[in-house]
Amino acid sequence: MATPQLDDFDRQLIEVLGRDARVSNRKIAADLGVTEGTVRGRIRRLQQEKLIAFTALTSLGTQGAVKLAFIAIQTEVDRVRAIADEIAKIPKVTGVLITMGRSNIIAICLFEELEELVTVASDQILAMPGVHHVETSIAVKTFKYNARVVKITGAGAIPEAD
Amino acid sequence: MSAPTITMDDIDRAIVAHLRKNGRATNQQIADILGLTAATVSSRIRRMEDANALRVVAVSDFSAHGYNVLLEVAIEVEGRPASEVAEELAKLPEVFAAHLVTGRYDIDVLVALHDFDGLADLMLNKLAKIHGIRSLVPAIAIDVVKYEFDVAPIEAKDG
Repeated sequence: MATPQLDDFDRQLIEVLGRDARVSNRKIAADLGVTEGTVRGRIRRLQQEKLIAFTALTSLGTQGAVKLAFIAIQTEVDRVRAIADEIAKIPKVTGVLITMGRSNIIAICLFEELEELVTVASDQILAMPGVHHVETSIAVKTFKYNARVVKITGAGAIPEAD
Repeated sequence: MSAPTITMDDIDRAIVAHLRKNGRATNQQIADILGLTAATVSSRIRRMEDANALRVVAVSDFSAHGYNVLLEVAIEVEGRPASEVAEELAKLPEVFAAHLVTGRYDIDVLVALHDFDGLADLMLNKLAKIHGIRSLVPAIAIDVVKYEFDVAPIEAKDG
């Protein structure tokens, strides 16, 4: 992972758009003292390099009481990638990390009813060939959750409207 | 600042679905696709934002900030309420997420560092000063296969 070259202007853009992505290019240009074309070009570059993405965040906890759980998974080491790819296909699983440590894979699961978590962890994941053990911990209280800094893994650049 | 709770109807959800695909779409573009007026789109977005049910934001990649090391750390607490320990952990800039969890461990944190040198500073200068940490069990993220980020706790808007 090479560190990308960002200048102060890029950082200002990330800051402004991180607060509200719906502010117009014209307003950003006026506020930062550059042309609209510069703003548009930089945003496109940051998107193409997958350094930023635009999204609509909806609230965790109010949207029908969504809860979060971590599922630590131990697998046969030589099958870890295939299993991780398989787990990533489960819609309720929103994060999959391949890790070195007490487990080989950590999956993050969002659920509303406990039943849904049980289905994902104990039925779907545990039944996959090569999975030895799953350990589920439910987040009962969140003290910090920085949703603005993430891993952008999506395929291709997201189109931007001017 | 009172944030009224709102119920989202099908039109709200359609607007949100569109914003998830393209957060920078203009009200007019969304209106054209959904057969609404731009004023309706605008007022519905504002209503959801005012209720802290929605934020349309740019998210940035860990690498944009020079974070090249990602760790998940499970923590056991002893002799102190786990909430207090979690609160202190949440104050560290390296900690991106801190949750109290059920199971064998008490707290789960996500840590992002510029490089492995940062680990010594975190361990010796910061975590060592937090009273009540009995053990730390780290997992080094060696690949991120999936990371969706469109559901999160929404903090009230400041300014």
